[in-house]
Amino acid sequence: MTRIPVSDLSRYLFQGHIRRAGCLRMRQNASFGLGASSLGLPRSLHTTTGLHEVNSSQHTSAAKSDPPVPLRKQLKDQAKALKAAGKKKKAKADNQTVPGWELTVGIEIHAQLNTSRKLFSSATTSFDEPPNTNVALFDLAMPGSQPIFQKETLVPAVRAALALSCDIQPRSRFDRKHYFHWDQPSGYQITQYYEPFAKDGHITLYPRDGIAPEDGESVTVGIKQVQMEQDTAKTIAQPGEIHWLDFNRVGVPLIEIITHPDIHHPATAAALVRKVQLLLNAVDSCVLGMESGGLRADVNVSVRRTDGGPKTLGTRTEIKNLSSFKAVEDAIIAERDRQIALLEDGGVVEGETRGWSLGSTETRRLRGKEGEVDYRYMPDPDLGPLVIGKDLVEHLRASMGVLPDAEVEDLMSTYGLSSKDAISLMLLDNGGRIQYFYNVLDAMERRLQEEPSVPPTSTEHAVLVANWCLHELGKLSVKDTDFQSQGKELYFTPAGECPIPAESLADILFYLHRRRITANLAKDLLWAVFRGEIGAAGTHKDVTEAIEKLDLWFKELSHQEYRDLARDVLEGEEKVLKDFQKFKTGQSRAYPQGKLMFLVGKMMRKGPEQRMDPKSAETVMRAVIEDRVGAGM
Amino acid sequence: MLAGAGSRPLQLRHGFASGRAIAAAVAQRRWLNHFISKSPPTDTSDASPPAPSSPSSFRLAIKDNITTASLPTTCASPFLAGYTSPFEATVVSQLRRLGAAVVGKTNLDEFGMGSHSTNSAAGPVVSPLSTAETTPLSPGGSSGGSAAAVAAGEADVALGTDTGGSVRLPAAYTGVVGYKPSYGMLSRWGVVPYANSLDTVGLLARSAGRIRELIVEGGMFAQHDERDPTSLSSQARGRCTASRRGYNGEKIDVKGTTFGIPIEYNIEELDPRIKDAWAKTAARLQEMGARIVPVSLPSTRHALSAYYVIAPAEAASNLAKYDGVRYGARDAGATDGAGETLYSDTRGAGFGAEVRRRILLGSYTLSSEAMDNHFLQAQRVRRLVRRDFDRAFALHNPLLEREHFDLAEMDEAVPLEDKFGPAEVDFLLCPTAPTLPPTLDEVMAQTPVDGYMNDVFTVPASLAGLPAVSVPVKVEGADGPVDFAGLQVIGQFWDDARVLGVAEQIGELGGD
Repeated sequence: MTRIPVSDLSRYLFQGHIRRAGCLRMRQNASFGLGASSLGLPRSLHTTTGLHEVNSSQHTSAAKSDPPVPLRKQLKDQAKALKAAGKKKKAKADNQTVPGWELTVGIEIHAQLNTSRKLFSSATTSFDEPPNTNVALFDLAMPGSQPIFQKETLVPAVRAALALSCDIQPRSRFDRKHYFHWDQPSGYQITQYYEPFAKDGHITLYPRDGIAPEDGESVTVGIKQVQMEQDTAKTIAQPGEIHWLDFNRVGVPLIEIITHPDIHHPATAAALVRKVQLLLNAVDSCVLGMESGGLRADVNVSVRRTDGGPKTLGTRTEIKNLSSFKAVEDAIIAERDRQIALLEDGGVVEGETRGWSLGSTETRRLRGKEGEVDYRYMPDPDLGPLVIGKDLVEHLRASMGVLPDAEVEDLMSTYGLSSKDAISLMLLDNGGRIQYFYNVLDAMERRLQEEPSVPPTSTEHAVLVANWCLHELGKLSVKDTDFQSQGKELYFTPAGECPIPAESLADILFYLHRRRITANLAKDLLWAVFRGEIGAAGTHKDVTEAIEKLDLWFKELSHQEYRDLARDVLEGEEKVLKDFQKFKTGQSRAYPQGKLMFLVGKMMRKGPEQRMDPKSAETVMRAVIEDRVGAGM
Repeated sequence: MLAGAGSRPLQLRHGFASGRAIAAAVAQRRWLNHFISKSPPTDTSDASPPAPSSPSSFRLAIKDNITTASLPTTCASPFLAGYTSPFEATVVSQLRRLGAAVVGKTNLDEFGMGSHSTNSAAGPVVSPLSTAETTPLSPGGSSGGSAAAVAAGEADVALGTDTGGSVRLPAAYTGVVGYKPSYGMLSRWGVVPYANSLDTVGLLARSAGRIRELIVEGGMFAQHDERDPTSLSSQARGRCTASRRGYNGEKIDVKGTTFGIPIEYNIEELDPRIKDAWAKTAARLQEMGARIVPVSLPSTRHALSAYYVIAPAEAASNLAKYDGVRYGARDAGATDGAGETLYSDTRGAGFGAEVRRRILLGSYTLSSEAMDNHFLQAQRVRRLVRRDFDRAFALHNPLLEREHFDLAEMDEAVPLEDKFGPAEVDFLLCPTAPTLPPTLDEVMAQTPVDGYMNDVFTVPASLAGLPAVSVPVKVEGADGPVDFAGLQVIGQFWDDARVLGVAEQIGELGGD
C-alpha cells in the first residue's frame, strides 16, 4: 500500500524534484514524544550528555522555512480586530445550535482533479508555470476548434466517486452552462448537468472527524451527484481597472460534488469538507488541498422553526467560494444567525447569492434572485455520451486501496490502537509514517513466528510498535541536533522507509517485547541505530550482534534478589511508609502511588539497573510494603 | 414569437447593404460580390499545389466560415473582420493534398445563417444568372458565394457548409451540383460552427462526377480526423463502408434501383414548373429501369419547426464567445458597474440582424422555462424524422440497432406496397427548393419566416444526418434566365457513393 502524496508526485513529474523530509513535519511530531519514559530514570549506555538540549537555532531555521502564511496572518488580524472591537467571540463548540431553530445545509465542493491533461484538450495542466504557456486552441475557444475528451481524466474522477460510495453511471453526458465572464473564453462552461457520471453516494462522519456533539455517534450525508467540469482562467488583478488573464487554468478538469441538504450543524459541515479532502487525497484524485486553492466549497443555508412551523425547508441562500474549513463553519454560523435575526424581526429571507471574506463576521449580498443568471443548460452537441465500462470501474475499485475510515477501523480492531493514535499515524508524513508502521510490524511478526514461544494472538506487540513509531521515533530529531547538522534527519518516504531500518526497530522491539532487554536499553539502541553505530556502516552489523558483543541481555534479578533489594531500600523510610499505613487504615482515600514510585526509583538506583525491570521492581516493592504495613511496620 | 420581428423588412446595418444599393451596383455592371478575399493571382505560396499542368490540379473556392491560415476567415461577421485563423481546416488540407489551389474565400450569410446570402457584413451576393435586363437574383444561401464562384466558372470546386440546406439551396438556385455528405464523414475541425449537430462540410461543382472523384476516388470518405469528436472513427467507417456499394469503383446503375417519391413534399407552395420537372425526371428514371414508388415521411411537416428550434439554440451557444473580449470591438468606456453591462452593447452592435434574431430565438428555447417545451420536443421530432427515413430505406442505418417497424404503429398515410408493408427504397427523389430563385428585391420584402420556408425540403436530411445531392434539371416554360431547378437525391446514411453516382446520371439526362 504505497502512498505517494499528490503534491510530491506533481513536483516530481513537473520539476523532477524529490522532497526528502520537512523539518517542519518533525517539529510537529515532537509533541508526541512527551512523557514517554514515565520513570524519568537517567540513561546509562551510549547516551552522551548535551544531546538532549533543544537547540534553539533549529526553531528559528524552521520558522524561516515556513511557507508564506497569509492565512494565519489573516486569522491573527481577525482576532486582533475582534479584540479591538471589544467583542468576545462565542466559542464555536457552544454555537452549533440555536434553540427553537433548525439549520439545514447542503454543500457543493469543487476539486481540481489530479491529471496531466486538460478535460477537453491535450494541453498540460500546470500550476507553477509561466502564465499562458499551456493553452490549446480549444482552451481559448478559437473559432473552428473542437473539444476532445481526454480519457485519462476519468481515472481520478471515478476514484473520487467511488471513495464517496457513488453509483458510477454507465452513460453520462456533457452540457454547456452559459454565462458571460472574461475568464470563460467560450461563453459557456462544459459540465454535467442533466446526466452526471456519478450519483447517489454518501459519506459517514464520526466524532473523530470533528462533527458537532449534537450529531452523536455518526451522521451520514447523502451525495446527490458528482460531475466533471472545466475550470476557468485565472484572473490576476493589477493596479487600476486592469485584469490580467492566465489561461493555463482554463479547461483544467474539476469534479463538483453536490450533497443533499442533510447537514444541520456548522461544525459538521466543516467536518464534511475536511473529510472529502481526506478521501480525495487517499485515492489520489485531488491535486491540492483547500488551503492551496485546489478545493472550493459553496454552501446552501436555510433555517426553519422547530416548534410546529411548516415542514418545508426555509428559503435558502448560497454562499459562494469558501476556501477554508474554518470559513465554511464561520460563514454558516454567520448566515444562520443573519437569517434567524431577519425572521425574528418579521422579515423574509430572499433567495440570493452571498459572499464571505475571511475574518468577517457577516456574509454579504452578491446578487439577488432577479440578478440570477439563467444558465440555459444545453447538451454539448460536439461531445458524444461518456460511456464508462464496468471493467474500468471494477479495476479502479480493486486498485483503490483502503479508505481512511476502513483503515482507522482496521488499526483499532485488528491492532488494538486508540483512534487518536490510528489517525495520528495516518496523518503524519503524508502516509509515510503508517507505511513504516506496517513495515516494522511485518518484520516483528516474522521474528515472533520464528520463535513462537508465546502465541502471537494478542495485539500487545502491535500497540508497542505503534507507540514507538509515533512517540520514540518522534524524539529522535528534536533531541539530536548534532546529527542534524551532519545531515542526519528523520524522514519518511511514501514507501515507509526511514533512516531507522524497519528490521532494526523490529529487532529492538522484539527483544523488548520478550523482555530480553530493558526499555531504556531499547531506547539507547534506537539512538545507536540512528547515529549509524549499528548497521552496515557501523561498529556492529545489527542489533542482535550489538547486544551480544556488549553483553546487554537483560538478566533479571530473581524474585528473592528483588525482595532483598526492596527491603534494603525501605530501611530508614518509615516516614514514607506512614502514608501507606494511612491508606490501609482508611485515613486517606488514594493509594500513595507517587510515594511508591519514589521508592521504586530508589530501588532502581541502588540495584544493578541493567538487570532490573521497573515493572517487576514496582510489583515487588508493592508486595513488600504490603507485608510491612500489614505487619504493623 | 417571430411575428414582431417579421412585420418589418430585414434590417440591414453595419455594411449590410440595402436592396437599392445592390440594384445600383448591379446596374453598373455585373457585380457578384461572391468573394470576401482572394488569393493573389500568382499565388504559389499555398503549400505548393501540384504544378498547374498537373491533371489533378483544380481551383478551389472556400466559404469564409472555414479556416485558412493564409487568408482571413471572417464568417461575414463584423466580429471577425480581419481575423486570420492560426490553423487550417482539415478539409482544406485534404483537398490541397488532392490538388486544390485556393482561389479565395467566398461570401456567405453571417455565420451561415440565411437562405439568400444577403445577411453579410460584406454585402449581399448576386447570382451570376442575373442579367442586366432583370433585377438581380438570389444565389441562395448561405453558401451563395461558393455556388456563384462555381456557376461563374471562377472555381472548379467550392467548399460550403450545409446545416439545413446551405449547400443544396444555392446549388439549386445557381444551376450547379451541391453535395451534403453523411454527418461525420468530412471533418469539421476548422469549420466555424453554426449548429454543431447539423453542420456538415459540403462541396459544390458543375457535375456530381467531379465531387465523386474527390470524395470516393480521392479517399476523403475514409479519412478520420482525431481533432473532430464527431468525425466517424476509422473502425466505424470501415463497418459502414463494408455495408455499402460504390466505394470500390463499382459502376452505379440506375437500373434495378428503387426511387421513392415522398408524398409529403408535394406541397401547395411548390412551383408547378418544378413539380413538372420532378415528375419528368421520375419518368425518365423509370424508362432507364428504375422503380418509382410513393413513400410517406409523416414527420416531415414538423421537421422545419424542429430545425428552427435546434439550430438557433446551438447557434446562440456557439456565438457566446464573441463578446468583445477577444473578438470584436468593445467600447472602452463600458463598465459592468451596477445597472450596466459589459458585453451586451458589444454583441448588439457586432452581429447582423438575422444572427441577433437567431441568438434571441435560441436563448429563449434554452431558457429554463422553454427548454422542456421546445428544445427537448424538437429533439424528439428529430428522432421521428430519422425513423421515417430508416423505415423508407431498404438499407438500414449502420449507426443504429436495426429497428422493427410494426405496421400497427404506422401512420395511416403511409402507402402500403403489399401485405408486408410499405415499399423500401434506395433513394428519395424530391425538389431542393419549392420555388425558382427569387429576385433580391423579393427577398428583401420577405419576412424572416418566409425565408425559413425555403429550407423545407432540405432540412429533413440534415436532421437525420443523411447524404443528399442537389442536381440541376431542366424546367419547361421558364420566363426568365433560369431554366432549371434543383432536384435532390437523398440516400441512407453512408450511401454517399451511390447517391453521387445516381445524381451524376440524373445530371446527364439533359433537357429533352
